[in-house]
Amino acid sequence: MIRRSSLPFIVIGILTFALVAWYARTTWLQLGNPAIVTGYTLLALMLSLGFFNMRKRMSMVPVGRSSLWLAFHVAAGVLAIAMFWLHTGTVWPEGTYERVLAILFYLVSLTGIFGYVILRGLPRRLTQTGIEVMYERIPAEIGEIREKVESLTLECTEKTGSDTVAQHYIGTLNWFFRRPRFGFSHLIGGDAAGHWLRGAGSAARRYLNGDEIEYFDQILELGTLKVLIDRHYACQDLMKKWLLVHVPLSIAVILVSIWHFLLVNVYAI
Amino acid sequence: MARPQRWSTPFGAEMTDEDVEKLLQRPDIAAIEADNFPKHTPLSGVLGNDTRIIKFRSGDIVVREGDYGNSAFLVMSGSLRVVLAPELPQNLLGRQESRKKGFFEALTQLWTNTSVPEVREISSYQSQGLRGGAGSASARVFLQDVPAVLDEHRTAKLEDGALFGELAALGRVPRTATIFAEEDAELLEIRWQGLRELRKYDEGWRRMIDQRYRENALKAHLQESVMFSRLDEESLQAVADKVLFETYGAFDWNVAFQRQRQSGGAKEPVIARQGEYPDGVLMIRAGFARVSVKHGNGERTLTYLGAGNHFGLGELYAAWKNPDIQEMAMHTSLSALGYVDVLRVPAPVLEEHVFPFMEPPTSTTMDIAATPVADDALMEWAVEERFVNATRAMVIDLDRCVRCDDCVRACASTHGGNPRFRRHGRTFDSMMVANACMHCADPVCMIGCPTGAIHRTVEHGTVIINDITCIGCATCANSCPYNNIAMVAIRNPDGHTITDPASGKPIFKATKCDFCEGQPGGPACVRACPHDALKRVHFRELNPAETGQ
Repeated sequence: MIRRSSLPFIVIGILTFALVAWYARTTWLQLGNPAIVTGYTLLALMLSLGFFNMRKRMSMVPVGRSSLWLAFHVAAGVLAIAMFWLHTGTVWPEGTYERVLAILFYLVSLTGIFGYVILRGLPRRLTQTGIEVMYERIPAEIGEIREKVESLTLECTEKTGSDTVAQHYIGTLNWFFRRPRFGFSHLIGGDAAGHWLRGAGSAARRYLNGDEIEYFDQILELGTLKVLIDRHYACQDLMKKWLLVHVPLSIAVILVSIWHFLLVNVYAI
Repeated sequence: MARPQRWSTPFGAEMTDEDVEKLLQRPDIAAIEADNFPKHTPLSGVLGNDTRIIKFRSGDIVVREGDYGNSAFLVMSGSLRVVLAPELPQNLLGRQESRKKGFFEALTQLWTNTSVPEVREISSYQSQGLRGGAGSASARVFLQDVPAVLDEHRTAKLEDGALFGELAALGRVPRTATIFAEEDAELLEIRWQGLRELRKYDEGWRRMIDQRYRENALKAHLQESVMFSRLDEESLQAVADKVLFETYGAFDWNVAFQRQRQSGGAKEPVIARQGEYPDGVLMIRAGFARVSVKHGNGERTLTYLGAGNHFGLGELYAAWKNPDIQEMAMHTSLSALGYVDVLRVPAPVLEEHVFPFMEPPTSTTMDIAATPVADDALMEWAVEERFVNATRAMVIDLDRCVRCDDCVRACASTHGGNPRFRRHGRTFDSMMVANACMHCADPVCMIGCPTGAIHRTVEHGTVIINDITCIGCATCANSCPYNNIAMVAIRNPDGHTITDPASGKPIFKATKCDFCEGQPGGPACVRACPHDALKRVHFRELNPAETGQ
């Protein structure tokens, strides 16, 4: 789960935490305010975490490999959680403003951890589908599959003179082929889509003759392909959209923290 | 539709019977023994279909050093100059001058990139130095001040009857010198197929071409091989005198390969067959060849050989070392992957000059055959897809790639807002070779560019396109077997497509990955991947088990 490139940053993070903790304790023993050092460290960490997003926009200049930035981002993120607890001395601070800040901080941390976990796990699941499809192309791919299914259905009706397949398509399969389905199941590694295709999706099979079965099997084959594309959609969609939560929350935490920093410097010190 | 024939598409559409008659009157052509040519490939047919007469004006560049070409030239009238030293500057050759951007200059792209795709400043095309109809295949880069070039560069004169470019055309190696027209000149351009026939059926041409190769390049090529590196001058000359030249496969293999991809497999020309007696070591001079062994009902690829590799040494050495062994046969087969230029060093030459002084081979390709088939499935796939040609393929580990497209955005941010590759391509297991220029060892895209706009940089060997001199003819894009070159319609900064005033048609430019040539820090796509999923690799690096024989 943890890549080798992260190890130096993890070691540095642990050492930094130990150093700051020791310094804070020394300050406390000398009747000083340990929150100053932990607070400044935490603010510095949060700002440096935000730089990762800026680095993505500066690909044209050599500012270090993005993978190293990510390794730093992960290690600094974990250190920030530890530093947050060291700074507040509790998991749930008092005061409304501090609680708002804590909620935002926890949400950013949780979405960060969530993102880290899904980005480690989902790519492998996509590889195992055996197909590769670009996210932006998925609606078009599904559209093409649906067109093929509909033309097969029409052809089946014309050639066999029976509308059983067409009725089944209108009543059942159309729902499946219309848009990506079974997203949650795909995300957790389930096979609800395949199960549905083998069950409700194939229910009309027993009422078909040999010629109709040939068409129907082609439709089910396209259904199997769509299951794989749906898996791509579900996983790629989540891998892109979690950032839409994480990044705005991060910006909010930084802004609220800066206001907290200003208030503390103006009134408390 | 009638089956296309050998000469369905003549090289020069304007070649007439009178032209052929006129050629046959020339002493250098008249000396060719026309009777030696078979009925299906007569000399007049070769001249009429595999050659064309082209006129160059004073200053026109005929061939450029470093370019790849599929034709040779015979001077019919006028005079040309070969640039000996110093080399002509890159900009005079119609190439892009190599210049590394500074940090801050690169950073300006942050705000200078536009959201309009493929924006160009028309003023930058004013100094393109082209004539002969930009947009047509007859467009040429020319030297504007020939006397100044003659003053500043040492040159040699080529006059009526001089032949040049034949080694690059037959050997598929870069041109070794730049040649330009000193005064108006008429040249006979002979495409490689015609050159091959002339060499095959006429003793005089064969002797001349082989002799030139022996004199100019052979010894240097032999010395590059470990086998011959220890030989003294005399022994090396003795080896060079006995070496035979052979070519296999089609020069324009890329065309057949594209067709084969659509229609299914095609037979590769066999160079040496498993079970047959080895009569010499085969050295690959250019191109790629597949080493395979019979496996079940098919052929299993053990490795592939490229320029500098050799085949059959182990078997010949064993035969020499153990003369008692009665049946000595090749353990493996060698077949051409596209066009292969081969040197055959006869066994007696090796027995006299090489074997007594060399260490016994420590491993053979048969060692690879001992591994399970599944272990070399990747290599089998890479050979099948011709990715072995790649020196900088964009390989994405799909188990790591989160499909974030940071690589695409990074590419766009370094190329005026336009990505130069597609994050899509052929996949094998968890590996994808994306549609990005692979900067091939055998760059077929560089053959036939009329202005030399597509070229290799001298510094890094990267294949790049000079946007200024690209005339949008799409020769390179059509030649690329991997569809890694895109033709784009260029636009004004206000978003309007730039059109040719004469025809009203949009002006196209060829675009592709330039490996971030000129950008600080190397390829942006690699640096931008947060998960280290994207790498630019030489395919040999992916198959450490095989390093040639």
